[in-house]
Amino acid sequence: MLAYALRRVLSTLPVMAIVALFVFSLLYIAPGDPAVVIAGDQASPADVERIRANLGLDQPFLVQFGSWVWRLLHFDLGTSIFTNLPVAAMIAQRIEPTLSLMMVTLFLTILIAVPLGVIAAWKAGTWIDRVIMAFAVFGFSVPVFVVGYILAYVFALKFDLLPVQGYTPLSQGFWPWLQNLILPAVALGCVYIALIARITRAAMLEVLQQDYIRTARAKGLGQGGILFIHALKNAAVPIVTVVGIGIALLIGGAVVTESVFAIPGLGRLTIDAILRRDYPVIQGIVLLFSFVYVLVNLLIDITYTLVDPRIRY
Amino acid sequence: MDRRTVLKGLAGAGGLALTGFAAPAIAQGASARTLRFVPQANLANFDPIWGTQYVVRNAAAMVWDTLYGIDDKFVPQRQMVESEEVSSDGLTWTFKLRSGLKFHDGEPVLAKDVVASLTRWSARDPMGLMLKAIQNELTAVDDKTFKWVLKQPYPKMLFALGKGNAPCAFIMPERIAQTDPFKQMSEYIGSGPFKFAKGEWVPGAKAVFEKFADYVPREEKPVWLAGGKKVLVDRVEWVIMPDPATAAAALQNGEVDWWENPITDLVPVLKGNKNIGVDIGDPLGNVGSFRMNHLHAPFNNVKARQAILMALSQEDYMRALVGDENALWKPLPGFFTPDTPLYTEAGGDILKGKRDFAAAKKLLEEAGYKGEPITCVVAQDQPITKAFGDVTADLLKKLGMTVDFVATDWGTVGARRAQKTPPSQGGWHMFHTWHAGADCINPAAYTALRANGDKAWFGWPTSEKVETEITNWFNAKSLDEEKTVAARINKAAIDDVVFAPTGFFLGYTAWRKNVSGVTKGPIPLFWGVSKTA
Repeated sequence: MLAYALRRVLSTLPVMAIVALFVFSLLYIAPGDPAVVIAGDQASPADVERIRANLGLDQPFLVQFGSWVWRLLHFDLGTSIFTNLPVAAMIAQRIEPTLSLMMVTLFLTILIAVPLGVIAAWKAGTWIDRVIMAFAVFGFSVPVFVVGYILAYVFALKFDLLPVQGYTPLSQGFWPWLQNLILPAVALGCVYIALIARITRAAMLEVLQQDYIRTARAKGLGQGGILFIHALKNAAVPIVTVVGIGIALLIGGAVVTESVFAIPGLGRLTIDAILRRDYPVIQGIVLLFSFVYVLVNLLIDITYTLVDPRIRY
Repeated sequence: MDRRTVLKGLAGAGGLALTGFAAPAIAQGASARTLRFVPQANLANFDPIWGTQYVVRNAAAMVWDTLYGIDDKFVPQRQMVESEEVSSDGLTWTFKLRSGLKFHDGEPVLAKDVVASLTRWSARDPMGLMLKAIQNELTAVDDKTFKWVLKQPYPKMLFALGKGNAPCAFIMPERIAQTDPFKQMSEYIGSGPFKFAKGEWVPGAKAVFEKFADYVPREEKPVWLAGGKKVLVDRVEWVIMPDPATAAAALQNGEVDWWENPITDLVPVLKGNKNIGVDIGDPLGNVGSFRMNHLHAPFNNVKARQAILMALSQEDYMRALVGDENALWKPLPGFFTPDTPLYTEAGGDILKGKRDFAAAKKLLEEAGYKGEPITCVVAQDQPITKAFGDVTADLLKKLGMTVDFVATDWGTVGARRAQKTPPSQGGWHMFHTWHAGADCINPAAYTALRANGDKAWFGWPTSEKVETEITNWFNAKSLDEEKTVAARINKAAIDDVVFAPTGFFLGYTAWRKNVSGVTKGPIPLFWGVSKTA
């Protein structure tokens, strides 16, 4: 297992290299100029040129790419063109809110989606199943920002139960931390809940047809035991796979959710950096996201061995 | 290790984490001493000479002080300076600093700091560049006195040192001011009424300014950038909110105290809330601009540019932006900010009255326009330019022009407008922008009005008449003389169509009613603002 994990981690290196080259090339050919944004609207073209030269943006592609790769090899993501702060420090500032949002969303999602999917499968074809599936269609169809605005209006403005926006670090207490995350996590989790509930239902329906389930029923096992101990465990592989794929959905959704709820996370940092053409920051974040995605896939593969002892690497 | 052990371990870790989560919350006291402010944009950098965006200038005015500050009559008043003297030939200016000036690191403000700061500023600011061009020497005489010796008189000296247009002549410690003006500095130490809490700065999310206890305000009443800057709160927190709907909700919910520029669509909601005050924020407003490229056909022909002026309805542009809010806009048959001393409508008849499409089409024909596509580069991520762009597309079609509407973002417009190549090769025919009214009160910082060809702002207009009159304005010695010259500038700029003004518009600011002291001004003014719990 350890050798397998090590091999997988090493195999991420060429993937990361391709991502790095792709991202750098894409940004190089993309229109826009950070020097123009820095110089401001009143600046003369000569001022803009001089700022561009000082930032090294007038250098040829290979020179810029070469120096960026050289820094990367020294574990240096570079310095933001705008803030003059190290990209690594900027990512470090923003990682806690995004991780928190993703964790709470994942927790809420699994807590809600898996039981919903199990119940829908158990009650397949009944009105309960149809209500749950209708909710799933709703979750898929309504954009994150619409759900976000509705939640903020009802729970913050109307009933004053939760804050509209912002983020409180976990170091300032569990409840202050959580209360800022509930609405964004629910908004972000809607799509995810819908997806996992549907997959859980489909996987459970298949498992519930198996002979060993009939045997379990025949020997008088309770419904709860059958569903949550025998059936769910055997339906877990596709569910775990979708949870992993969903991490990508979460990263994408976090960009919008963090803007709507003014959470100072990596999603907003990404948007800001793209709008300003802050190349080192964009490159750093995309690399990070790629790495996280590869890592999550590795963790999913390892999780398979935990839920299904037949799987060995 | 088997899978059950791993799962047990994870559960244990979860329990441990939960125990840790139970830490007590930090007390949220002193909220009345903290003013939470939503600025117009993200404070992405904090060097007010290197980066000249308005938001940087606004934050910088809290941290760095200036030698002079303009008041609401546009008169520069002493700020860091105690006295000044100008020689009878107008060539030697001698300034003396007032006592008690101290930087945030505890060091006194000395004349050598001022000299270094003005040297850096004068490499970037249009008025500074003019001063540098006629400078003989800029030196510190002693710790409190510095001298600026010029080759020719410069009557606008005090205005240059006190103006609020970016970049302002902010005073920094010498070691910081020695940074190349085209490179970003990394220390943010000023002598203004607030200290910048660099450790709490999260670009894109939060910037914190703390009251500077050693700041000695002037005795005079504060008016705009002049007078005593008395700070009445301990902290000002800038909370960056990219989404206006979230900012509106946060203000209503009491999570922030002051929102610099609510969008017009949300103002009725804010006005309907009894806890929120709403008023015009910056009385100098903004001047909308339809900028044409003077280098390429058809707009290299003045008749084509005049055709646009003849057909353009400023009301259409303004309605697209502010809707039915009549208090938020004015027609602008000229270039200078309405209700300011130099405002004039001289030569502006072409922008008034019924729009004459027939005459405009005739002018286009005379200019040799034969239906070639007109490349309009329109930033869709800026509500102002998006609204203007939609009106322009309609206008050009009504004029029988073929429109190549390039819908893009502001970053791309910024880069593309610098291209002088023909529109078919990556250049452009026209784009929209707007200028802060504070920049348009006179020609000093009005870069967009310059018409010196290659050296002019994007569009590169050439007009000898405009340039001659701008020089005359700089040499004018009285307000009456300035007014006369401004009328000639206005007429010349309209005749040659340096750019097409699309109207004058204002914006609101909104604050919770437990905040007092919010005043109108060209920038958000934090001195004199207080808050109750």
